[in-house]
Amino acid sequence: MAVADFAPGAVAEPQDEPHATGLRDDAFRERMAMLGLCSPALLLVLVVLVSPVAWLFWLSFLANDGSLSLEHYERMIASKSYARIFWTTFQVSTLTTMLCILIGYPLAYFLSQLPPRAAAICLITVLLPFWTSLLVRTYAWLVLLQRKGLLNNWAIELGLWDEPVKLVHNMTGTLIGMTHIMLPFLVLPVYGAMKSIDRDYLKAASNLGASPVSAFWQVFFPLSLPGLFAGALIVFVLCLGFFVTPVVLGGGKVIMVSMRITDNIELFFNWGAASALGVVLLALTMGTLYAASRLLRLDRILGEGNG
Amino acid sequence: MKRRTFTVATAAVAVLGLSATTALSQELNIVSWGGSYQDAQSKAIFQPVAEKMGITVKEDSYGGISDVRLQVQAGAVTIDIFDTGSGGGARGGAEGILEPLDYTMIDVSNFVPGTYQDHCVGTITFSTVFAYNTETYSDPANAPKTWADFWDVEKFPGTRSMRSKFWGSLEPALMADGVPMDQVYKVLDSEEGIERAINKIRELKPHIAVWWKSGAQHAQMMKDGEVDMTTGWNGRFDVAIKDGAKAAYSYDGATLDYDCFGIPKGAPNKDLAMKFLAEASKASYQANMPQYITYGPTNRDAYDLGVIDPETATRLPSHPDNAANQLVIDNAWYAKWEQHASQLYQDMLTE
Amino acid sequence: MAVTETVPRSEALPITIRRVTKTYGQVFALDHVDLDVKSGEFLTLLGPSGSGKTTLLMALAGFTRPDHGSVSFGDTEVVRMPPHKRDVGMVFQNYALFPHMTVAANVAFPLKLRKVAKAEARERAERALETVQLGGYGERQIDQLSGGQRQRVALARAIVFEPRILLMDEPLSALDKKLREHMQIELRHLHEQLGMTTVYVTHDQREALTMSDRIAVINHGRLMQLDEPRRLYDRPANRFVADFIGEGTFLPVELSNGSAAYAGTPLKLAEAVNETAAQELLLRPERLSVLAGAAEPEVNVFAGKVKELVFQGESFLMYAALADGAEVAVRGATNRDVMERIPAVGADVHLGLHRDDTVLVAAGED
Repeated sequence: MAVADFAPGAVAEPQDEPHATGLRDDAFRERMAMLGLCSPALLLVLVVLVSPVAWLFWLSFLANDGSLSLEHYERMIASKSYARIFWTTFQVSTLTTMLCILIGYPLAYFLSQLPPRAAAICLITVLLPFWTSLLVRTYAWLVLLQRKGLLNNWAIELGLWDEPVKLVHNMTGTLIGMTHIMLPFLVLPVYGAMKSIDRDYLKAASNLGASPVSAFWQVFFPLSLPGLFAGALIVFVLCLGFFVTPVVLGGGKVIMVSMRITDNIELFFNWGAASALGVVLLALTMGTLYAASRLLRLDRILGEGNG
Repeated sequence: MKRRTFTVATAAVAVLGLSATTALSQELNIVSWGGSYQDAQSKAIFQPVAEKMGITVKEDSYGGISDVRLQVQAGAVTIDIFDTGSGGGARGGAEGILEPLDYTMIDVSNFVPGTYQDHCVGTITFSTVFAYNTETYSDPANAPKTWADFWDVEKFPGTRSMRSKFWGSLEPALMADGVPMDQVYKVLDSEEGIERAINKIRELKPHIAVWWKSGAQHAQMMKDGEVDMTTGWNGRFDVAIKDGAKAAYSYDGATLDYDCFGIPKGAPNKDLAMKFLAEASKASYQANMPQYITYGPTNRDAYDLGVIDPETATRLPSHPDNAANQLVIDNAWYAKWEQHASQLYQDMLTE
Repeated sequence: MAVTETVPRSEALPITIRRVTKTYGQVFALDHVDLDVKSGEFLTLLGPSGSGKTTLLMALAGFTRPDHGSVSFGDTEVVRMPPHKRDVGMVFQNYALFPHMTVAANVAFPLKLRKVAKAEARERAERALETVQLGGYGERQIDQLSGGQRQRVALARAIVFEPRILLMDEPLSALDKKLREHMQIELRHLHEQLGMTTVYVTHDQREALTMSDRIAVINHGRLMQLDEPRRLYDRPANRFVADFIGEGTFLPVELSNGSAAYAGTPLKLAEAVNETAAQELLLRPERLSVLAGAAEPEVNVFAGKVKELVFQGESFLMYAALADGAEVAVRGATNRDVMERIPAVGADVHLGLHRDDTVLVAAGED
């Protein structure tokens, strides 16, 4: 084909459009080459992401004897505990996300207002928990919060309260631990979004008559929202699948889907029952994300950026 | 994750090491739970038996009966002998992934009744008891003794803890509800009986501060004073008490359970493994275990050899004086009811 | 600019700046600046980058806090007043339009802050948009606008609340040349129409000359000269101003008894010599002419040789070497008469400079 392009008359081409076919072919080949370059990444995504999910999906429809069946899903409907576990999972995730926003947003704002050097040091302290083991951090909370833990002992010594307060082995403890662990996931994207807000917007707002408070709420806050949504989404989705912290700090009273998944593997001796839970959790997560994006018009907020 | 890695690794070992294994057929591959438990087993049983038989024992830790299942299903068995809980042994047997044991070779004539099964022969006993805080309940004459006491929050005010899973939890509930020990499994062998046990636990639920998930956890809670009374495994409590925990427990009304050895179907050295188990089940080896860890022998003859010092012997779960007051776990009941009971237990927990 | 409804003409305020100083470490960004901006005037702060012109503008807006000094809008001292209370309009270099708001919301923003009723705010915003010829663009998103349109929106937002002072920080620098020149004229008209006191910052001398009533040339945080464009160009106070605005060659002169001479020849001067400082002769290329015959009496003559000729379309540029070796540039229109008179490269040439254009400037530091 390429040779034919240079041989006059070999390809029927109008005289006034020289090389039209050849140039079109070149464009096509270029696109194919780009696709070829992407293919290892595509393949990796397929193998690493798509195939396990597909496998999980398939397994969830297999009965213990290997035949196709809906028994794992039927069990979920029949037993009351499953609905409650999903509810708890969403409750914990939502509350943790809200706490992370309440604590993380002001923290990120504080960091974004610091001079670069101080901000870097403070960011490291925010990130520090990332580098310590999740288990260690979780057990540290147990030591602090338990009935005869540091916090209760101090509070009683100082006369803040007389009887040990139940701070752990319940929802409170779970939320404290989860919020602590999730906080960096919220702070980082929010901090990034805040840093990318041009200071001139605030100057403009101020110049136009906005007090610092109204400049914050009417200009800075809306512009930081894409980062806040990104962070909140990350936190929420990570919470949905969380395991260690609710196990250790929930005292068996905060039962999340991930915990039931491991229990089911132990109890039913096959992956099907656990897979079905995974599939439902995945579906509910996707549903939530979709609903959130519709409700909050995320695409628009994310798309607008700080231009 | 861990399990997968293990399977891949063992599959690779199976392919690469097959010829080597056949050439040196006087070698056995034994897996157990690792940690201080396996250390004790190694010193008391595995290595002395190997020496006696003139063979080599290769030891490894593993992730439980599901590892065995994966090997058998993949047709790449490298494990000759594994240690498992009695429930795991019963399930493995029911699933057909284990070799039946030859009880003409293995002498169980003086075992604690119920501590061996077709596919798994007991090696140690442990008890599910309740421990209480000796500072909260400081009068030894008026300490909680029975499951009814465990349930009696008026007479013994304080926080409680039970297991987050139904295994070993329903039997105490029935005993607390007045069912005599020898009737427990009979009552439990019906939906109403299970319902009755669950309802009894439901009654105590407001006072349960923690539903524990692991032995380490309930031991730690007694040490930290997080709860005033908890169910749990006797060995763990002994360790905690040795560590300074203000706790005590008794064997009255406890459930006696055991760990046992099994052989996966298609094990590379099946016959040798059988001979090994015959030797390892002898009282002379089992008698050496308690000096390393406070779990009792399944072979009652071990108590008569004079190896276990009397002081220790009286504290072991399977000591005749202790065993007499305990309910031996019924794996047949578990095989029949566990999915049903587990479901109800979970429902109760999430209410 | 046939506009039916526009933002009404405002009552302008003068600005008084006294001894305003701002240092960053050892460096003076503003060095005791005194400046009076007249009511309704279009005043441009002109200077190279880092000269302090933007710092001065920011001090007027309230974004830079001077070390000391006084800034008054009319009779009101504002130097310690926070920016949001100063009530001055401002157009930022990058426009700083809020990307999360529509055009209309951006323009109505200052009205909303001033608690103007919604309907009225909407009406006034639309009127402001019509003033900048963007009527009907209110519902657009900011990212749907071109650079020129953004510029107009920024302007509409700055004037919609009828401030009596308008500040502009290089508002045209992001536009291409053609649009920039168009907007210069339009801003000028708008200023005439609205009448607010306007302080405009630029580093573009042509822009400054085009638009301003007066220009303040600033360098190293100091006011170098404040004058009308024409005067600033024709009678620069010193070599920096002469060099920064327009082109020029500087020749050494000898001063004696109130007269000046170059290379021994006395010069006919526009103004009396200021003998308190060393002086240089400023030769602007377009003020020199190529002489054909005998020079008129009011003209100074410089003899030299043509070194190079460059044709630049609307003008030509000639480089000539004078007798003492100094090289001067001459610019001329490319009309037939002039072109015929230009000697060839290497030929002798006589250059004439009229007395009125013969200006001495204080010898510069640079």
